[in-house]
Amino acid sequence: MSHAEDTRRNVDVWTKANAEYTDRKARESWAKEEIDWGMFSGPESEIGALGEVADKDVVELGCGTAYFSAWLAKRGARVTGVDPTPAQLETARRMQHEFDLHFALIEAGAEDVPLPDASFDLAVSEYGASIWADPERWIPEAARLLRPGGGLVFLCNSTLSILCSPDEGKVEERLLRSHADLGRIEWPGEDEGVNYHLTHGEMIRVLTQNGFQIEALHERLAPESTTEHEYYDFIPAAWARRWPAEEIWVARRSV
Amino acid sequence: MPDAASEEALRNRRYWDRTSDEYQERHRDFINQPEPRWGVWQIPESELNVLGDVAGKDVLELGCGAAQWSILLAKQGARPVGLDNSERQLEHARRLMAEAGVDFRLVHASAEAVPLSDESFDVVFCDHGAFTFADPYKLVPESARLLRPGGLLAFSISSPFTVVCENPETELVEARLHRDYFGLHKFDDGDVVEYELPYGEWIRLFCANGFVVEALIEPRPGPDAKSTYWEEESEREWARRWPSESIWKARKPE
Repeated sequence: MSHAEDTRRNVDVWTKANAEYTDRKARESWAKEEIDWGMFSGPESEIGALGEVADKDVVELGCGTAYFSAWLAKRGARVTGVDPTPAQLETARRMQHEFDLHFALIEAGAEDVPLPDASFDLAVSEYGASIWADPERWIPEAARLLRPGGGLVFLCNSTLSILCSPDEGKVEERLLRSHADLGRIEWPGEDEGVNYHLTHGEMIRVLTQNGFQIEALHERLAPESTTEHEYYDFIPAAWARRWPAEEIWVARRSV
Repeated sequence: MPDAASEEALRNRRYWDRTSDEYQERHRDFINQPEPRWGVWQIPESELNVLGDVAGKDVLELGCGAAQWSILLAKQGARPVGLDNSERQLEHARRLMAEAGVDFRLVHASAEAVPLSDESFDVVFCDHGAFTFADPYKLVPESARLLRPGGLLAFSISSPFTVVCENPETELVEARLHRDYFGLHKFDDGDVVEYELPYGEWIRLFCANGFVVEALIEPRPGPDAKSTYWEEESEREWARRWPSESIWKARKPE
């Protein structure tokens, strides 16, 4: 399947998710004071993946309803949100009016962003381009958008959780999917999209080949108090307390 | 010779002194090869290209065993030093060096406290050597100290997933997740102490010691691969589907 077809399919998935969940959830997410990562709300204050964001030019690749961008804007970052799904950006614009917090929103896929070279200090993605776009295409694009020394910070599902994912249903306590099957994954379920999940070795290869130096891989343990996510319920909380459900990569574009 | 070996290092020394003869006999034909090969599946260095050209380089092998690797690197023009925690292993190394007609320095010490000068090597490496049997929180800083600027640290170890998937009763890997992932570090079966870290913790440790991560190679055995380490067919099939080993490459900046 072509990249354009994958993108169309993923836009359909997110248009539906917007109608079912992300639109009604947006106000609560935008209102939050803490920066949290992922399904199990790993606090940035504990993880420290982003560093200081005040006065920095930040692009969020796959921003969805742009709550993550909003958190960064509240901390003094000059933010641009990029997303290919019009319905998600529509929600983001409505939230901007409600919260009187305004920043640029651009309808585009992260593989081809209509913005100039070397115009950002930080590129972030929380389950955005980081899993919904082809790393061989979006990571070079992030490198292009960043200034020398700029940071790239993104959250994905962990490799182990993908290896334990059946085609449909919840993550299991056993390996089901081969390492060789990672890369482009087309989930067969109804209303499912196309994701990209790499092995750790492949992610290191793609990052280093695109001029990034790796600074950290934060593998996240869900806290004891964790309960199953209300919408993204494919990872049982008990699983996420024993094995990493999510991981955050931190890399820096070489000077 | 200074010897700041930890209690674990002394126990592992006794373990290897005790088991070295049996180990070298059992794996003799599998690991005494005409070209350098990596790990449980003996995948050729010429395929993986981990170390690159070693000619003219000062190379330290941490946990050299009978020095099969260092002997082959010496033949390629490297200036190796083989370090091992076990005197009995080094006796086997001397025997194989004499047979091969090569000579280089062997050092009897734990890799946790190497009695060699700062910045005296271009390559520090091992193949399931000290990075399995000594504490990585000591080895990574030691490697940083021993390497010259621009030098390469490279080593193979079992992957963290093998530890998670090992059935503690049979000691065979399975698809089932048996152990927790978090808190991996030291595994003491009462006989020998082994070490393993999560992927992210390796990266943190490299960066904290000034290394730049260059690559993580996860070698995969061929469909007919055999090993004297993983002998069961079920183990080979596991290793065909999931990474059984990690080879990390990290560089000390110029």
